[in-house]
Amino acid sequence: MTHTLLAALTSLANPMAPSGYIYPNEFELHWSLLIIVYPYLTGLVAGAFILASLERVFNVKALQPVYRLSLLTALAFMIIAPLPLLAHLGHPERCLEMFLTPHVASAMAMFGFVYAWYLSVVLLLEIWFDYRKDIVNWGNEKKGFMKYVYKALTLGATDISKKSLAFDEKIGRAITIIGIPSAFLLHGYVGFIFGSIKANPWWSSVLIPIVFIFSAIVSGIALMLIIYMVTSMFRWKHIDMKCLNKLAELLLYAMIIDFGLEFLDFIHRLYESEESIHILAEMISSRLFISLIISQILLGSLVPMVALVVARFGKFPSEMKRILYFIAALLVQVGIFSTRWNVVIGGQLFSKSLRGLTVYKVDLFGLEGVFMSILLLLAPLGVLYVLTKVLPPWDDTDPGAAQIQK
Amino acid sequence: MFRPLHQLVPLTIIFAIAVTAFVVGRMYLVPETFGEYGHYRADAVGEVASQEIAYAGYQVCYDCHDDIYDEKMESNHSGVSCEVCHGPAAAHTEAPDEVTPDIPHGRSDCVLCHGYNPSRPSGFPQILPELHNTGKPCMVCHNPHAPVLDHAPTECSACHRKISSQKMVSHHALLECSQCHTVAEGHRTNPASVRADKPESKDVCGSCHDKGAESSRGIPRVDVETHNARYLCWDCHYPHQPEVVR
Repeated sequence: MTHTLLAALTSLANPMAPSGYIYPNEFELHWSLLIIVYPYLTGLVAGAFILASLERVFNVKALQPVYRLSLLTALAFMIIAPLPLLAHLGHPERCLEMFLTPHVASAMAMFGFVYAWYLSVVLLLEIWFDYRKDIVNWGNEKKGFMKYVYKALTLGATDISKKSLAFDEKIGRAITIIGIPSAFLLHGYVGFIFGSIKANPWWSSVLIPIVFIFSAIVSGIALMLIIYMVTSMFRWKHIDMKCLNKLAELLLYAMIIDFGLEFLDFIHRLYESEESIHILAEMISSRLFISLIISQILLGSLVPMVALVVARFGKFPSEMKRILYFIAALLVQVGIFSTRWNVVIGGQLFSKSLRGLTVYKVDLFGLEGVFMSILLLLAPLGVLYVLTKVLPPWDDTDPGAAQIQK
Repeated sequence: MFRPLHQLVPLTIIFAIAVTAFVVGRMYLVPETFGEYGHYRADAVGEVASQEIAYAGYQVCYDCHDDIYDEKMESNHSGVSCEVCHGPAAAHTEAPDEVTPDIPHGRSDCVLCHGYNPSRPSGFPQILPELHNTGKPCMVCHNPHAPVLDHAPTECSACHRKISSQKMVSHHALLECSQCHTVAEGHRTNPASVRADKPESKDVCGSCHDKGAESSRGIPRVDVETHNARYLCWDCHYPHQPEVVR
């Protein structure tokens, strides 16, 4: 009797115990926090790059103040993006095998090349061509160690004549045009990996890659809005409200498309009503209630959309607009992180028997823990800080970037 | 002075160096026999085959330990090979006096199979290690070669832990299992061949839940005859957790 009572208390103290029937190998989740961080980071890369390309290719001049910052942000996040995967692998040195003996039938293996293409050909080349004139000038002006760094970065191409710069401009534009489909490919692939797992009804959907791309654009624009506001604050510069309004507008439009697509996916699943619908409905109403209904849909989509509409099209003073934009952008980050959480964790919570649900408990310490994830999420900001020191993305001589009186 | 396309020269050189390094690197780093049979190193097959054999197989144990072997084959552990618990024993069969296999004395090995896990089948003996005779090595009560005790389990939860856990937090918590199941004595000692009886008609539920039943007033009532007449009660209500309607 004592045993029964104790077992009852144990079970009560742990209300999130697995329920229904699950297979033995489904008890523990194999893809955890780090696999959530990975698509979140690559999404930010793709989003930031697509934002930069709006200025370059589509000539959205209002975005000029964030163009270079977006490129550097994309690079900073791109450098860190593979680290969660390498940490999760346990044998990071084996990642080289993917390049040496690639398996053409494996989407994951082929992605190594997509990644290399995006990092080396698209991002590095675009940044190099865009900064070349400045790098040559800095190489001539700076003193000491940095002089040699800039000299090395010119790669010997020191001609900054008008014609030469015109060529830089032309080729930079061409790279951006190639870069847009590449950015789509980069994040579309991450969605493809999930969407092509046909045995998993939560993942298996052709819409997933497209939803991933649009959520990437949403997260990238929101991130640039935050970074632009924070860097302006620390640099004691006035925020260009034209640029901020444009960012907010684009964020809103991207969110409407993203939310519409996700809603379409939802309706489609409901209408199809495959045999998995009952367990998925149970999962959404129990395990994913907070992260999906509250965090992703309510706090991460609806509230920021309303805030953006009110702030962008309402008659408010600039300060109020800035606060609303900032809060909306932060909420969007929470929402997109929740989206990644719901995809990665949601797909592993229900049994393939469609008769039971398991639980996911986050570790605090260790390679797959909360602290490691926080470190990996903050690391790109550290890289970005270094990049902005080496390649300052803002022109402080520009009279438009007025200094705030301290 | 404008030098046409001069920016592309260093980039082309870097690109060429990178591609050459990749091609040359592949020549040295990809194993020679890679891809001979499939997408792996063909030499690996021979290497694995030439590894020293660590496991002897349970048949060899019989040559010396026939008494234990016979005892085990009669028990519920008949399907568990000797080396599952005692570890690889090839070296022991070569030199029985010099190398002795492990004998697990603690509690950690047994719970690998018998610790409660919701995904294990109902009826498989499972315990909550933190509650089941804490601190006592399993071998004190259970002979690993014939683990079933000489007396039958007194509680159903000894084997049906999951059902018991569900029932104890449901409205049926206070019901004895025997309220609905007739359990033949042989089921406790030989559950695989003597099955516990399960209710077949709605009368079992009706004895408490029918509107005319003589039971406590707080119990939910329906007219068992007409309430979803085409279905049995457990088609919708899981009896061990009746609050959950399927």
